[in-house]
Amino acid sequence: MSERQDPIRVMVVDDHPMWRDAVARDLAESGFDVVATAGDGEQAVRRARAAAPDVLVLDLNLPAKPGVQVCKELVGLDPALRVLVLSASGEHADVLEAVKSGATGYLLKSASTEELIDAVRRTAVGDPVFTPGLAGLVLGEYRRLASDPAPATGGEGPRAPQLTDRETEVLRLVAKGLSYKQIAERLVISHRTVQNHVQNTLGKLQLHNRVELVRYAIERGLDDV
Amino acid sequence: MAKRERVMRMSVEQPLWRALTAYRVLTLFYATGLFVAKRDEFVRPEVAAGFYVVLFAWTFATLPKVANAASCSRPFLAADLTVALTGILLTPVADAHDRIVEGGPTLPSIWTAGSVLAFAVKGGWRWAAFASALVGVANVVQRGTLDQDTLHNVLLVWVASIAIGYVVEVARASERTLARALEIEAATRERVRLARDIHDGVLQVLAMVQRRGSAIGGEAAELGRLAGEQEVALRTLVSGGLVPVSRVSEDVTEGAVVRAVDEPDPQDDSAPRDLRPLLAPYATAKVTFSEPGTPVRLAAGAAKELAAAVGAALDNVHRHAGADARAWILVEDEPDEVIVTVRDDGPGIPEGRLARAEGEGRLGVALSIRGRLREIGGTAELISVPGQGTEVELRVPKNVPMDGRQPKAPKGSRGARGKVDRT
Repeated sequence: MSERQDPIRVMVVDDHPMWRDAVARDLAESGFDVVATAGDGEQAVRRARAAAPDVLVLDLNLPAKPGVQVCKELVGLDPALRVLVLSASGEHADVLEAVKSGATGYLLKSASTEELIDAVRRTAVGDPVFTPGLAGLVLGEYRRLASDPAPATGGEGPRAPQLTDRETEVLRLVAKGLSYKQIAERLVISHRTVQNHVQNTLGKLQLHNRVELVRYAIERGLDDV
Repeated sequence: MAKRERVMRMSVEQPLWRALTAYRVLTLFYATGLFVAKRDEFVRPEVAAGFYVVLFAWTFATLPKVANAASCSRPFLAADLTVALTGILLTPVADAHDRIVEGGPTLPSIWTAGSVLAFAVKGGWRWAAFASALVGVANVVQRGTLDQDTLHNVLLVWVASIAIGYVVEVARASERTLARALEIEAATRERVRLARDIHDGVLQVLAMVQRRGSAIGGEAAELGRLAGEQEVALRTLVSGGLVPVSRVSEDVTEGAVVRAVDEPDPQDDSAPRDLRPLLAPYATAKVTFSEPGTPVRLAAGAAKELAAAVGAALDNVHRHAGADARAWILVEDEPDEVIVTVRDDGPGIPEGRLARAEGEGRLGVALSIRGRLREIGGTAELISVPGQGTEVELRVPKNVPMDGRQPKAPKGSRGARGKVDRT
């Protein structure tokens, strides 16, 4: 891997001290700057604001405040923050919720150290880190959005986001376990294009989520406050 | 520790008690008003006046007694009814005989109904029937005869109070059911939350053992591998609640007793069921299972066949791509069909080999998979890209016509023809 001028600033949030230390140690050994760690949700929000990391490695199952909420708050404060979800159980609803509220990567704790380090590195430069499991969930989410009846606010409401045929194709290949390189080969497109397609699938979902939130706020009259 | 959630009570009964309180006070003034307006016609107005003084004192003194079911005691109900009956029986003493015969009001007049209603709200229709029967008897005695008019009034009070008593009983029963349902729901939620925490902890430790084990190497690596396998098995079991526990509630003490039960296998093959729990057990350290995150409904028979076909495809992967090959299962829930793809990262099938194998009749597994799919109206497609492994794509339409029609079946007898994709 290429040497960077500034090491990537990483913060590790996990309630398991054993895990937190192991992940932090692995990352530090690989040249990342672990600027902070936290053991619960409240602590995570406080310390992340002070330490301003580039990448947040976040467990979803946290005491005091759920990981999804931590992700929402911190990404809301600083949209440049990259969040990599590192979860043991991979509760579907939580993972989707975290991804919709700004996380750009998801990795199971059973992933190897190399995979983790690679994932943090990719997250830092803005590449989405997709597992086949997450790709399957995202595909499912788009299909649910497409089949749900449009919200009853007349015609001006935002339309449910849709994937282009190419994006669906790419996502399906990710879900079938192909690497970006293999996908690029199969579809005869560049590696970068594959990344862009994957990124777009997440981007649309996150945008939709934000639009829905704003619409909800306006409907409830919260925008006047 | 999380506190046990309090079950919210939505009382249907409380408004009835408030209404009863208001009724007693209003009818007290009404009854007194009737007397004051016609006091000249009473033969012994002092008796009536005395009764009203007592009635005032009694009604206001016992207002807290009709505030709710708990404070409305049996002695109070008995005393209240006694006051009402005394009032009715005092009427011939205080009032002119002519007025009574003409159907004039009793001393407590409609205040009596409040007493009967208290019985109904407190004890249901049986108590109401009892109280209104006593009032009916007292009315007949007071009137001296059982004429059409009296009978009419007595029956009316009787039926009305029984009806109200019945409604109260029904309301109370449904309230209990609701409370129990809420409690069961809260208990289940708490259980799920606890299970999730426990599982998460176990998964973390297993993943950690796997991680450290492979780092240390040697015997520890073997331990790590075992931990990794268990981690996958447990995660598959718990993630997304793929294994819902069936529960029944037992109404022993009207509390919420929730018991897990074994759900009998649905016998009806056309009833829809979730495909995911059938496929989830195939996930291992080498086999990744991806699904949409919500139930994928398919007729039970079709789901079983599809799962068996996936099993056959995975066996095929092990046989041809080696024990170390990785595999991925992807379930997709399209509006009109379910697609399950099994992909491996084996060497793939070299160009021409498929056609040759077909010619030699060596496509046994593919044929068996295709046969299974055909039975449920679906199709199986074999795709192999050199260097990218082999994919078996299984498609099953959701509304399977039972005659086994195949919307996209391979044509003719060459059912085992594989499609070879080339880059």
